[in-house]
Amino acid sequence: MSTKDDEMLKELALEEYKYGFTTDIEMDIAPKGLSEDTVRLISAKKNEPEWLLEWRLKALRHFMKMDMPAWQNFTLPEIDFQDISYYAAPKAKPKLNSLDEVDPELLSTFEKLGIPLDEQKVLAGVVAVDAVFDSVSVKTTFREKLKEQGVIFCSFGEAVQEHPELVKQYLGSVVPQTDNVYAALNSAVFSDGSFVYIPKGVRCPMELSTYFRINAENTGQFERTLIIADEGAYVSYLEGCTAPMRDENQLHAAVVELIALKDAEIKYSTVQNWYPGDKDGKGGIYNFVTKRGICKGDNSKISWTQVETGSAITWKYPGVILKGDHSVGEFYSVALTRNKQLADTGTKMIHLGKHTRSKIVSKGISAGTSHNSYRGLVKIGPGAEGSRNFTQCDSLLIGDRCGAHTFPYIENRNRTATLEHEATTSKIGEDQLFYLTQRGIDPEKAVGLIVNGYAKEVLNQLPMEFAVEAQKLLAISLEGSVG
Amino acid sequence: MITQVTESLYNQLTRAYEEDCAVQAPHPLGELRKLAFERFKQTGFPTVKWEDWKYTNTQPLLNQPYTLAGADQPLHADLALAAIPGLDAYRIVLVDGVFSEALSDSVPVAGLTVLPMEKAADELAFTKHFAEYADKTDNPFVALNTALFKSGVFISLAPNAVLDKPVHIIHVAAAETPLFTQVRNLYVVGRHGEMEIIESLVTEDGAAQYLNNHVSEIVVHEGGKLQHYALQVAGESGNYLNHTEVYQEKHSLYNNYNCSFPGASFVRNNINVRLDASEVESHLYGIALTAGNQFVDNHTIVDHLKPHCESYEWYKNITQDTSTAVFNGKIFVREDAQKTNAFQQNNNMLIGEQSAVYTKPQLEIFADDVKCSHGCTIGQFDPEALFYLRARGISEAQARVLLVHAFAFDVTSRFANDMVRKYVEHLVEEGL
Repeated sequence: MSTKDDEMLKELALEEYKYGFTTDIEMDIAPKGLSEDTVRLISAKKNEPEWLLEWRLKALRHFMKMDMPAWQNFTLPEIDFQDISYYAAPKAKPKLNSLDEVDPELLSTFEKLGIPLDEQKVLAGVVAVDAVFDSVSVKTTFREKLKEQGVIFCSFGEAVQEHPELVKQYLGSVVPQTDNVYAALNSAVFSDGSFVYIPKGVRCPMELSTYFRINAENTGQFERTLIIADEGAYVSYLEGCTAPMRDENQLHAAVVELIALKDAEIKYSTVQNWYPGDKDGKGGIYNFVTKRGICKGDNSKISWTQVETGSAITWKYPGVILKGDHSVGEFYSVALTRNKQLADTGTKMIHLGKHTRSKIVSKGISAGTSHNSYRGLVKIGPGAEGSRNFTQCDSLLIGDRCGAHTFPYIENRNRTATLEHEATTSKIGEDQLFYLTQRGIDPEKAVGLIVNGYAKEVLNQLPMEFAVEAQKLLAISLEGSVG
Repeated sequence: MITQVTESLYNQLTRAYEEDCAVQAPHPLGELRKLAFERFKQTGFPTVKWEDWKYTNTQPLLNQPYTLAGADQPLHADLALAAIPGLDAYRIVLVDGVFSEALSDSVPVAGLTVLPMEKAADELAFTKHFAEYADKTDNPFVALNTALFKSGVFISLAPNAVLDKPVHIIHVAAAETPLFTQVRNLYVVGRHGEMEIIESLVTEDGAAQYLNNHVSEIVVHEGGKLQHYALQVAGESGNYLNHTEVYQEKHSLYNNYNCSFPGASFVRNNINVRLDASEVESHLYGIALTAGNQFVDNHTIVDHLKPHCESYEWYKNITQDTSTAVFNGKIFVREDAQKTNAFQQNNNMLIGEQSAVYTKPQLEIFADDVKCSHGCTIGQFDPEALFYLRARGISEAQARVLLVHAFAFDVTSRFANDMVRKYVEHLVEEGL
C-alpha cells in the first residue's frame, strides 16, 4: 500500500465524531449496581403496576442464572454489571404538557443534533419524534395530530399508564424475557422507549421516529420499543442514536418488538451512529440489541433497514418470524466499521407459514483494523410450503488489516422451498476508481461515490430524510479511504 | 451429557488404550498416542452443542455396543462390490480396517512405496509427517484415531515419479459382529510426483452394524499433483467418520472428489486443506445423493495462508425420502494471503418430502486484495423442465434422471478420470 493511501487511512481514522458533545444538565441518577432493589426502584420511579414489576423481577432472576455467550465472532468484553447505573433522567417537572416546560438545555441538545422538538419548526410536519434522553422520553411531537386517526405514539412509560391492556398483551410476546442474556437484562431494567399502536385499517399519516441520546456517564441505556400494527395498518418507523465521546465504554442493550397482524405492514429503519470510540478503540458504545418482529397474520410484512456506522461493538440480528401465510420479511443492512470497531450483525428469517417470502441484502464495509461479520439464519419449517428466500451479502474491504466474515446458516426442511444465497468479497475496483478520476473527480469523492453506489440498494429503502443523512454519514466516514 | 451407554464405549476405549500401552510398552508412537488420548479424554465425544457438530448427532451412533478389534482376517473379500468398469489400477484391500497383504496387489513400481501403516514407522516420510497435520485440529475423533489406530495405508511417491495407473484402495467391511475401527492413512507425494488415488468404501452382505473412523493425512510436495477420489457405496450397516487433512507445498495441485451414494446410514466427512505456500491450487468437488433415512455431512475447510493461491469448491446434494444432507464449507483467507482467488458453490436439490438440508457456507477474509465468492441454492425439480421433457415423450422417471444428471454435471464433468466419471454417473442414475 502506498504512502498516500496510508495518509488517507490515517485521516479516515481521525475523522471527527461530530455528535460527541455532552449536555450539562441536572440529572437524577440511580446508584450503581444491579439487584432486585434496583429493579424495584426503577419500577417505582415509573409508577408501574404490580404485574410489570413481577415481570421485571422474573427477567432479573433469569438473567442472574445466565452465562455470557461465547459463540460470537469477537471477544466479549468483561462487563461489570454492578458498576453501571441503570437509571438516569434529567431532573424535571413531574409531567410535561407543553414544550415550554421542557428544560431549554434539553431542547438545545436536540436542536444541536438536528432534531427539532418544536412542531412549528418542523417542515410541514413530516415526522413525529419521540426524543429519549438517557432513561426517559423527553417529548413526543405531533401526538394530538396522530390521535385524530387513533394512532397511539407515546413513551413506553406513558403507554404502561394509559394503555396497560395493550402493553400487557404484547410485551415479551416476540422477545421473551428469557430470550438471551441482554434481552433478560433489558426486560429487568428497561427504563423507557417508544410505544406505537396503529389501529385497524389506518395508514399512519407521517413517519414516526425516536431519537435516542445517551448523555450521562457510567450509565447504560436500556430502552424498549413495542410497535403493533393492527389488521391492515401501515407504519414507517425511524430510529436514530448518538452519544457523547467518553473514554469508558457504555452499554446500550435495547429490545425492539414488532407485531404485524393480518395485512399489516411495518417498516423499521435505523441509522445507528453511537459514539464508535477513538482511533485506538478506546471508549465507544457496546450496542447489544435484540430486535425481532413477527408477521402474525396472513399477508403481513415487516421490513428492517439498518445503517450501522457507530458503536465500538455492534451485535444484533433483527429478525422476522414469518408465521402468517404469504407474509413477507425483508432485511436491508449497511454496516460500516473502521479503526477498531467490531460488528457482528445479520438477521434471522424463520419461515413457518405457507408461501412466505424473505429477502436479505447485507452490505459490509470494513476499513482500518476493524472486523465486520454477517451472521444470518434462514430457517424453513416443514410446514412452510412454497417459501422463498433470497440472500445477498457482500463485503467491501478497505485496507489490508481488516476482516470480513460471513456465517450464513441455511436450514431447509421443506422440499417445495427455494432458497438462494450469494456472497462476494472485494475491494474498491481500481478500474472504477480510474474511470472516475479520469473524468476529473478527485479520488476521495470517487470512493464516496463508489461506496454509495455499493450501498444504494439498501439506502434506497430508507425514507427520504434518512437516506440523505445516511449517505452523508457514509461519505464522511469513508473520506480518503482509497484502498 | 454423556449417557450411560456411551460412557461404556468411552470406558471400553480407555481400557483398550491402557491394554495397548501395557502390551507394547516401548511403542515408537507411545508418546504421540498418549498425548492424543489425553486430548480425547479432555473433550470426550462431540455433542450437538459444538458448533461443528450442530446438525450431526453422534450419540445414537456411539450408544451401540461395539467390539474394538476384528476377528482374524478372512482370505477373501467380495471385491466386485468396488469394481469400477474399465479401470486398470493397483489394488489395495483393507478388510475391517486392516491392511490385507494377501488380497492386495503387490506394487512393483519404482518410486512408489505402499505399506500397511503398522509397518511404516521407520519410513522417512512417516517420521516426518505422521500426526503433524490432522492432530492440530480439534476433532476428537482424530485424537482417538491417533491413540488407537491399528492399521491403514501408507503411500509414499518418490520425487519426479509419475504413476502409470491409479492406486485403488478398497475398504471392505465384513465383520459379523458390530465393530468400531480406527483406520489411519498417510499419503505423501514427492516433489513433482503425480498420482491418482481412488478409495472405495464397501460393505459385504451380512456385515453387522459398524463404525469406521478414518483419518487420512495427505502431503503434496512442491510441484506435486494428486487426484484423490473417495466413493462411498457402502451398505446400510455402514457408519463413517472420515477426516482428510491436506497439506500442500508450492506449485502443487490437490483435487478431491468426494461422492456419497445411497447406502451407509451415517457419513461425516471432514476435508481440510491448508494452502501454506504461494501458487498452490486446490479443488474440492462433492456429490451426495442420499436416500432412505441416510445422513451425510460434509465439512470442509480451505485455509489460504499465503498469497497467489487458488481454490475452487463445488458441492451438490440431492436428498431423497427422509434423508438429511449437511454442508459446511469454510474458507479462510489470512492476512497475508493477498491475490487469493477462492470460489465456493453449494447447490441442493430436495426430492424427498421429509428430507432436509442444513448448509452453512462460511467466509472469513482478512486480506483486501482478494476475489472470494460463495453461492448456495436450495430448490427442487423445475416443473417446467419436467413438463418440457415429458411433452417430448420422455417418461417421468427418465426425465428426473436427466434433470439430476444435469444438476450433477457441474461436478461430474470435472472428474479427471473418465472411468470414475462414468462409474459415478452410473451410480447417480442407479441411486434415483
